[in-house]
Amino acid sequence: MSQIKPSLQDLIGIEYIKLGFYRELQEKIIELQSSNLQLDIKQQHLQSIIDGITDVMATVSLDFKITSINRFYYDFFEEKDPIGKLCFNVFRQRNSVCPECPIFTALQTNQVQRQIVMIPIRGKIHHFEITASPLRKSDSYPIGVLILKRDVTLEKEYQAKLYQAEKMSTIGLLAASVAHEMNNPLTAISGFAQGLRRKLPVLKKNLDKSVSDEIEEYLNIILKECKRCKDIVQNLLDLGRIRQQKMTLLDLNSIIIDTVQLIRHHSKKRKKDFIKLRLYKQLPMIYGDISQLKQVVLNLLLNALDATEKKGDIIITTSKVGKELVEMSIQDSGVGIPKEYLDRLFEPFFTTKPLGRGTGIGLSTCYNIIKNHEGDIFVSSELGKGTTFTVQLPIKSIIALSST
Amino acid sequence: MRVIKFSIPEIIFGIGSINYVGLCAKQLGAKKIFLVSDPGLEQAGWVSKIIDLLQKDDLQYAYYSDITTNPRDFQVHLGAEKYLSEQADVVVALGGGSPLDAAKGIALIASNGGQIRDYEGANKIQKPLPPMLFIPSTAGSGSDISQFAIITDVERQIKMSIISRTLVPNISIIDPYLLTTKDEKLIISSAIDALCHAIESYLSKIASPFTESQSLLAIQIIFKNLKPAIETRSLDHLCQLSIASTSAGMAFSNASLGAVHALAHALGGMFDTMHGLVHPVLLPHVMKFNLPSCKEKMAHIGKILTGENKPEYNTAMSAIEAIERFFSTFNINCRLSKIVKDKSKLEPVCKMAHNDACLLTNPREATWEDLLAICEEAW
Repeated sequence: MSQIKPSLQDLIGIEYIKLGFYRELQEKIIELQSSNLQLDIKQQHLQSIIDGITDVMATVSLDFKITSINRFYYDFFEEKDPIGKLCFNVFRQRNSVCPECPIFTALQTNQVQRQIVMIPIRGKIHHFEITASPLRKSDSYPIGVLILKRDVTLEKEYQAKLYQAEKMSTIGLLAASVAHEMNNPLTAISGFAQGLRRKLPVLKKNLDKSVSDEIEEYLNIILKECKRCKDIVQNLLDLGRIRQQKMTLLDLNSIIIDTVQLIRHHSKKRKKDFIKLRLYKQLPMIYGDISQLKQVVLNLLLNALDATEKKGDIIITTSKVGKELVEMSIQDSGVGIPKEYLDRLFEPFFTTKPLGRGTGIGLSTCYNIIKNHEGDIFVSSELGKGTTFTVQLPIKSIIALSST
Repeated sequence: MRVIKFSIPEIIFGIGSINYVGLCAKQLGAKKIFLVSDPGLEQAGWVSKIIDLLQKDDLQYAYYSDITTNPRDFQVHLGAEKYLSEQADVVVALGGGSPLDAAKGIALIASNGGQIRDYEGANKIQKPLPPMLFIPSTAGSGSDISQFAIITDVERQIKMSIISRTLVPNISIIDPYLLTTKDEKLIISSAIDALCHAIESYLSKIASPFTESQSLLAIQIIFKNLKPAIETRSLDHLCQLSIASTSAGMAFSNASLGAVHALAHALGGMFDTMHGLVHPVLLPHVMKFNLPSCKEKMAHIGKILTGENKPEYNTAMSAIEAIERFFSTFNINCRLSKIVKDKSKLEPVCKMAHNDACLLTNPREATWEDLLAICEEAW
């Protein structure tokens, strides 16, 4: 062992003092500060990940108390300070644990639970897809549950729309084939009726005038009703399989003006200006089938006329929506449509009109025409105050068209 | 004048000062005390007294007493292990030089790790030690004051000197009442140890006015009080012996010692000789050897002890004679042959002593042959 022999100066030891912990403490503090900083950075990173999750997120303790939430919570729920409060209280305004509580099941099975529930929030039903996963300590013992609530209301709406569209196209196809089958007997009926009418001069000679007159009247009624049937059948055929479209560049405003004139002609009893036009002057040209679009305007106007039979006005507005759409809205201050009907309005054969007045095909035809024009049609209505139908059609540049 | 240094712990002195042990320990941040003592003090009842006092202050404790005279390195290592496993904080040591030095070693290894021999020499300690509170039970070792710890390296059969200001305890509680349970022999050998501390530190090369005054005070008190203390066992005289031991401690901790202690350490390491027994044998002979280098100072001692004012050399010699006379009034051994039977062993002892740190401050340079000559004279 090579011990350096101490010197006198070592024994006096002027430069050596009784060591204290101050330096060690300082080093520890610096060490702690730097590890604190690292923790902070880590924390911020985790926070930004959590903030990046766009679902409502909450952690709930084993006794159903909310222990943490993310900021999206506030987009949906009223309670300003939910920490420490009971989850069923805050999320569903209940006083007891919800039936089929996903948290409870997650804890019991120690597995991730998924559920879709409807929760009314500020008067509107929201669909939430709820995921509840148990939070475990390192020893895998659960200490709470992580709840993710995804608002799937919009998806649900789209799903419903898709379902509606599918139903409509099915019904349309069905109607078209039925109509096609009806055409043959109708042709036979009207053909034979016309044959009978041709025989009328012969009959008149042999029959009493009053009888032959009566027969003539009946034949005319048969033929008129046949014509009516044929129109309906033709409409049905249109519904299922739109006739060959004749697409041209057109001005929606002039279509509206033409159609309104037609209507005014038919409703002379009413005030002169009960239809008001607010047309956007520089409305871009669109590409479409003039007669089909006229039919849409006509159908919507006829509905508006019906709705405003006793009182009210009609306002037709056109405008430009963004760079890609033109919009036409037909607003009436008529009787309005009950809420429960709104969803079914564009279904074929759905009608609220008295028997014999409507076929329930008008609006569904409109719907098909507009969809074929890659446009959109929707309705808003309030009972007693009126209804607005809005049609949006795409503005297509000539260049884009040439490639279509 | 050169730059000097004087450092001592906080000292609480007086009859009943032991009652402050809990308070002091708490002020040092104690929750669980590591109490170091030895079986002798257990029997005398002082260990349980300390434990009572600690418990009265709601302090927990772990007790360690596997310590012999001339504490061994392994005893220190075991103590340090126990300190760590008990998760103790403040080290409280009660005893003579052995438990106190062992406690220093335990505190050192517990905080700095390694082996005790890694720290042999001066100023090798790198990290702070746990707070230390020492209660000396003898009036002599001065370990409760000093920056020295003497631990025996069993393998090498030597007493290692570990020197560091960090070994100075934080607080020394000196209660002379503890001396009441000591037997005559122990009081005498402790007092002579203290006397030897006082004389060697006074003659040391690095003695300073601060240490010299303490040394002279201790010499005077011991000469005046040892005899009556033995005879009367009065608290007053025991108090005086405690004061002398503390003063001598303050002096030698800062001025270090000389050839007597260098040889005593070597003898203790090789023959496990009780420290206090070596001094009366060697002190007069070492003084005679040193006389040429410190005539004036030794004469000053002579003047104080005898009141004579003869020529310097004669007065210096009278100091040595007075010390020999003083020793002879007590029934103690003054021949080295009673300690080392085999004269041939003296040579390795002296060679070892020559390497001892205490020899550095001896007033006269001494080769191992010089030391051997001293020993042969004392044999």
